[in-house]
Amino acid sequence: MNEIIISILRSGTPLIYVTLAGVIAQRAGVWNLGLEGLMIIGACATILGIMLTKSVGAAILIAILACVLASVLLWFVIDRLKANPIIAGLGLTGLGIGGTALAVQSIFGSQATVTAPFGIPKLGPAFGSYGVLSVAVAAMPFVVFAMWVVLRRTRFGLRLAACGEHPFAARSVGANPSRMRLAALAIGGVLCAIGGAELAAGSLQFFAQGMTAGRGFMAFAAVIFGAAHPVGATFAALFFAIVGALGIRAQLTFGDRIPHDLLQALPYLATVFGVWLSGKLRGGAKAASSFAELRDQ
Amino acid sequence: MSNSPQSALECRNVTVKFGDVTALSEVSASFAPGQIHAVVGQNGAGKTTFARVAAGLVQPTLGAVNVMGRDIRTGQVSESRAAGVELVHQSFALPPSFTVAETMEFGATGKGGIYSRKGLAEKWRAHLAGLDVQTDLNRRIRDLPIETQQGIEIARALVTDARVLILDEPTAVLSPAGIDMLFARVRRLKERGVTVILILHKIREVLGIADTVTVLRGGRKVEGPLPVAEVSGERLANLIVGEAVAKTLDRHDRDALVGTKAPAHEDTDQPVPAAGPAILSMKAVSTRPDSGGIALDGIDLEIRPGEIVGIAGVEGNGQKTLVRAISALADLEGGSINLAGQDVTRQPLAVRRRIGLRIIPFERNVEGLSLTSSLWQNWSARELLQGSLLKSIRPAAIRDACDRALKAWSVHYNNAGQRAGSLSGGNAQKVILAREIDPDAKLIIAAQPTRGLDIGATAFVWQALRQARDRGAAILLISSDLDELFDISDRVVVMLSGRLNGEFHAPFDIGLVGAAMTGAAAGASA
Repeated sequence: MNEIIISILRSGTPLIYVTLAGVIAQRAGVWNLGLEGLMIIGACATILGIMLTKSVGAAILIAILACVLASVLLWFVIDRLKANPIIAGLGLTGLGIGGTALAVQSIFGSQATVTAPFGIPKLGPAFGSYGVLSVAVAAMPFVVFAMWVVLRRTRFGLRLAACGEHPFAARSVGANPSRMRLAALAIGGVLCAIGGAELAAGSLQFFAQGMTAGRGFMAFAAVIFGAAHPVGATFAALFFAIVGALGIRAQLTFGDRIPHDLLQALPYLATVFGVWLSGKLRGGAKAASSFAELRDQ
Repeated sequence: MSNSPQSALECRNVTVKFGDVTALSEVSASFAPGQIHAVVGQNGAGKTTFARVAAGLVQPTLGAVNVMGRDIRTGQVSESRAAGVELVHQSFALPPSFTVAETMEFGATGKGGIYSRKGLAEKWRAHLAGLDVQTDLNRRIRDLPIETQQGIEIARALVTDARVLILDEPTAVLSPAGIDMLFARVRRLKERGVTVILILHKIREVLGIADTVTVLRGGRKVEGPLPVAEVSGERLANLIVGEAVAKTLDRHDRDALVGTKAPAHEDTDQPVPAAGPAILSMKAVSTRPDSGGIALDGIDLEIRPGEIVGIAGVEGNGQKTLVRAISALADLEGGSINLAGQDVTRQPLAVRRRIGLRIIPFERNVEGLSLTSSLWQNWSARELLQGSLLKSIRPAAIRDACDRALKAWSVHYNNAGQRAGSLSGGNAQKVILAREIDPDAKLIIAAQPTRGLDIGATAFVWQALRQARDRGAAILLISSDLDELFDISDRVVVMLSGRLNGEFHAPFDIGLVGAAMTGAAAGASA
């Protein structure tokens, strides 16, 4: 039992961090389809940072810097250049996947995986069999709670939601929707960096091309499934992780009878099911925001 | 205020340009503290722009704004709010998913911190009660009736210590009883020392509530602030319309356009009551609930050739669903719809249009026209969509026909290839009229056909509807403006919560119709 919980937490934690980044963007009125790109930039920057600085703290700072810069770029393209947010987000994803591959290629001259000498510190033997998990896993519930407080229990959170839902109303009380979106995307950048760092340096210690494998999009699905509520979306992400872990378990048990490709596809099928279910239950995403609204009035 | 300043709000030479369009031109006005001021003018006169400049939402091209004797930085909402100016928008600016308490909090200034749901409701309960807004603080905005939403928007504007409260056309969405409640609320604010600026467009409302009146026309100030006691309704009407236009208008139309007195419809040339079989006959029509608005509940409605039937009611009582039901866009749960003698209950819109259904829709710029398509494409849509999909078309011929039609309807445009979005509201509506009012039209649904139009364009639309009626078409007119309904309808039916609540014949009694709108006297009928 412990094993399966550990595997759920391992695969779920990066997903949850990135989901929270999607939640805050969604509430501010931005459909952030750049999550996949931001996550892989975070993963790559963490591993390269560890190799460069020999310090995990400095590596994560570098990852945060890279992801925040990429997020600000996304904001600039959407908000200042008035580009379509969906296309700009997909562009950022392409930039992340391609850019990290290019970086690895040009630094190491090969497309092989890059292995770091060490990763994010583990919890240690004091936590028994859970000691193999990284500190980022332990920090995750606190981050979720903090996001819930900020988004659902402060005036900042209300104004952020107003910017997403009714920018003109937000402007009428003196809020600046454009600046709010910048703040939301920048905070999202920090969260994506941590998610990417946990993916590459939490239980693993390497970066491989395309290693996010659609997790950013799965996080986005969790945002929709969870109605852009920080706790709801966290549980949606956790649900996807559970399905994934059970899929691996099932492969070990009935791998001989059921094609293992099908079992591997389970999390993705669960994602489709989740988005369908959320549409069924609520008639669509809550913080939905058309482009016209994003442009105010 | 220890040394009370001369004016609570003063604008000096305010000019606002949006691109080539001048919305306000050198407007200077000074509003004395502690009074109720009215700003009037027809649509497009610049009233809303004026309000938004004062609230800091619009940056004027030139000019200064002075609050309580102090010049403020223009174009900054936070600056205007800090000086004590608050604005209540015409279509309320409240995020629909917010609860009442959240709506109060998100606009508040001062200490915030982390709140609890309960604490937030506690914090704002007294504030709302003090303004006589009765509602559960944990209900969401989207679930509240329009009158309550307006109360909440006013309460939202007063979360800070507002000295000047501007209300942008607050009466446009209210029933007569709702207007009385609003005015009582405004008078109480005056007693509390708040300077209130009401943007209105009905003269009888101005005379009923305001201390002074300022008239805008075409982005310029024509007069004011004048003490209301010194100005007659007649003079005010001419100031709003402009002497030149006033001469061209029929007296009843002019009175309806500016709302001089309680409307009644005293047409002397009343046509003979319509005869012949009904063009539209709805029997016990109910619709399935959907996201498009309140469902219809057993609607029985007949319209005969040569009559205009007006639908009165506070917005959101099923008017949109009624239009969707007649145009086959809502799922019927029961009942039948007959169009010109044919049962069309299960027929799609294309069939209904072929029979002679025409629609001037609610949203001119969304449902009525494709703003990014050319005028000839918009104009020709009616006939093209009726024809076979594979029929070849000759754009040159259509453009010529379109040119002739638009000229006949006196649309001002450059060429038939220009985008529909480049026309003004009045001209855009004329393009829709040119498309929807043709000799084959049997039933014309006109949904808010004059919303946002200036007086000339409004009179034009009325004339077009009357001519269509005189030709024998049946017309269903939906409007939230009772003056408009009473002036041109032969019969008025009131909608309330998806049902018909009473039918009225000319001369109309605004008291009875108003009561039916709010359900005060169920089953009222004249």
